[in-house]
Amino acid sequence: MLITGIKSKPVYAPLAADVGGRYHVLVGHGVGAEQLLRLVDELRASGGSSRASRRMLYATDLSAAPNAMATVREADVAHVRVFENIPALLEDFRTLLETSRMGTRLYVAGPEAFMGLVMRIANEFNLNRDEIRAEECGSRARRVHCIHCRAATESVTTNIVECSGCRRWLVVRDHYSRRLAAYMGVMVDAEMPGERPAVKDVFV
Amino acid sequence: MSHANTILVRVSAIEPLTPLIKRFALSPAAGGFLPAFSGGSHIIVVMRGATRVHRNPYSLLSPPNLLDSYQIGVRRMEVSRGGSMFMHDHVRIGSELEITHPVNLFNLDKLARKHILIAGGIGITPFMAQMEDLRAGSVPYELHYSVRGPEHSAFRDRLLERHGARIRIYHDSANDFIDVEGLLGNQPLGTHVYVCGPAGMIEKVVGTARIAGWSGSHIHWEQFSAPPVGDAFDVFLAKSGVSVRVPPDQSLLEAIEAAGVDAPYLCRGGVCGECRTKVLEVDGVLVHNDHFLSSEEKESGRAIMPCVSRAQCTKLVLDL
Amino acid sequence: MSVVFKANETFRDDFTFRNSPKAIRRFPLPFVDDEYMYSVNIEPHTPGPKGSVTEFAIDVDEHYIAECKDREIVLLEDPLRYQALPHMMSAQWDVLELIMESMSRDYPELFSLTKTGNRWAWTNRPLGIHTEFTFGDAATLPREPLDYITRQVQGDWVVMDQREGDLFAEAGMVTTPADWSLDFDIGMTFKEWHGPVPLAHELSVFTRALKFLLNLRLNEPVRRLNWTMTIHPRLDTSPEFYYRWGKDRASVTPESVADDAHLRVELQGLWRLPRSNGIVFSIRCYLISMRELASVPKWARRVHRVLKNLDPALVDYKGLTRYRDTVVDWLAPFDDGAPTSPGAGPD
Repeated sequence: MLITGIKSKPVYAPLAADVGGRYHVLVGHGVGAEQLLRLVDELRASGGSSRASRRMLYATDLSAAPNAMATVREADVAHVRVFENIPALLEDFRTLLETSRMGTRLYVAGPEAFMGLVMRIANEFNLNRDEIRAEECGSRARRVHCIHCRAATESVTTNIVECSGCRRWLVVRDHYSRRLAAYMGVMVDAEMPGERPAVKDVFV
Repeated sequence: MSHANTILVRVSAIEPLTPLIKRFALSPAAGGFLPAFSGGSHIIVVMRGATRVHRNPYSLLSPPNLLDSYQIGVRRMEVSRGGSMFMHDHVRIGSELEITHPVNLFNLDKLARKHILIAGGIGITPFMAQMEDLRAGSVPYELHYSVRGPEHSAFRDRLLERHGARIRIYHDSANDFIDVEGLLGNQPLGTHVYVCGPAGMIEKVVGTARIAGWSGSHIHWEQFSAPPVGDAFDVFLAKSGVSVRVPPDQSLLEAIEAAGVDAPYLCRGGVCGECRTKVLEVDGVLVHNDHFLSSEEKESGRAIMPCVSRAQCTKLVLDL
Repeated sequence: MSVVFKANETFRDDFTFRNSPKAIRRFPLPFVDDEYMYSVNIEPHTPGPKGSVTEFAIDVDEHYIAECKDREIVLLEDPLRYQALPHMMSAQWDVLELIMESMSRDYPELFSLTKTGNRWAWTNRPLGIHTEFTFGDAATLPREPLDYITRQVQGDWVVMDQREGDLFAEAGMVTTPADWSLDFDIGMTFKEWHGPVPLAHELSVFTRALKFLLNLRLNEPVRRLNWTMTIHPRLDTSPEFYYRWGKDRASVTPESVADDAHLRVELQGLWRLPRSNGIVFSIRCYLISMRELASVPKWARRVHRVLKNLDPALVDYKGLTRYRDTVVDWLAPFDDGAPTSPGAGPD
């Protein structure tokens, strides 16, 4: 069973302005603030994007980077909203997309587990892969979907993890579902009960 | 790769729709029903004339749920290599023709949240079938249909009867043109635009959508290039060991087929990429008329689409 | 052709599944050579020799009733093995039509379909089903069309939507998978879905296969064979239930290998669908134990050579690591080193 090197694992790239877009929606979490602010500068410099075309939603990571909030609030965008938690941001993001128009580009920056949730909502609005850019930064912790009981285990940083639902030990594969916004977790010792590798931090 | 399984059909109705367009109904010669299809599909009609065989693509315009016959609309082309003239002048009720199974290269996006259809002239045909699919669904759609003048608006009554206020017809003669900028400048997320019509209209719609910030996955167009006429040239088919002369009014693909060599094809209109062939040697220039190869590929001179493209050269060697 | 069904054989618990001598002779061995590597081994799905598994578009064999029963057991416990995203409804009808038309045309003594306009009547004699319904109106069927019809046919069925120059797996019935999950993979692009397959990406197998399939034509279906191995004749080797069957892999001994280790061959068929312009992918599983396989001398020689020299990445991917050597050792005495004849069929 292939564990790493699976092609469904998303490939991210540093955010770059897509000057083909008319409206730009920037969404970030935690240390992703830095990427978004850099992108605002790039959009301004490109000359193809007015302040009115840029909107930003940002959720702070209260455990880190406390200063980003103030900087984000001053970003050169028409509309900025800052949230203290991700669910609140996602709700606002959905409302924003309901009134957004064709020509919109979405830029997402933050941990993959956060970006997966954002992109899942974007997908409901038929925002396709050529309208979304994403840059992974911050925690590499994964959201893991247990293939046996279907529970999601959040913030997984280790090669194997105990499932939050069925308590089986799962090996975390590189196989990623955009629909579930999660990696696949498969029972690690199904063939030889108790035969488990040592727990190691790998997604940090 | 050519179609062993063509279907023999008999022309069961011919109706002039406009001064230039005739509608043909094609019924299965063996009786029964024709294969089901999706809106936007086309067939290749094989016309066996006295001196040569024409194979032209035509969009199916009949409702996809009516399969006792297919309907196609054929516009008489002023500059033609003979296919449309053959249909207009030689095909009668009762004539037998061969057709391929339908192929869809102009499919509606099933995840679209809104569809905008833009047709020019004979470009209305694929939308006739697509709108029957849309009518049965719940996703909003609208058709903007541009014609030279009232006498050219084929299907007007049928469209208004079936789709009512979702239809807007524009007449060039009344200086009434589609406001493409206004139309594409303010649409909800998840809208898809589809355009079929003259090259200038397609360029205008695609270009305007791009300027309005639309990404490629939301822009759909179909234009079958008729293979243009050109100077005669010679081609050598390396695998078959055959030399072929391509006359001015025949396409490279047609000449290859006439020489008895089996070459791959699907759309015969420069769209799908199926007939893409490796160029082993050429001492002149390739005249690319397709919409498939990238500009780098065209410049490289290493590949050609024989269904619509030609060459100006004294020597051309293909990997066929 | 008359089929004698082994209606009570099982693919779980006591595993009473066996192949008749006739089923062994028609087994679709996937090895045309004494070694194996991935290729885009796609060929037209045209009728094969009489009595072969490709004689008809959809093969109905002696295991038909038992396989349908096994599917019901899986679905009862795990209903998400059948799923269809909402935009796949026209494709569901396409698949229902394909299956009903093929089976009633090719096995008229078992299945019949009559149409009066959109009013259809379907009779499935082996399963004792008779349904009258309106084609295109899902409310007239007891289940969604794809769910309804794939409970009456062998093999898994995955339906793909074509858009953005790609194929998205967005509906399916998957109760006999070789360790992949529809529930996890639904919605994926062609390459994402095949992500866990090693080596093939590097060989551009999926790039070429995708390009080919995007231009797949109506009425010109294609097929290919794929294979793996399974311990016991178990159809449901799903990741969902891996915690149940995983330990089988560690249970193989020199004494049990002949009857426990099975070659598992998938006959995969691909059809362009008319109304939806989607593509349906059928994955039909054939099982044969090593003992049954060795009754054909050519196959014993060939499979011995293939397994002995199999690329380590494929040994791992196919889950053979724990028992491959035991199988090779058991087959070795059958391999006298004589050359094998061309083609995959028995001598």
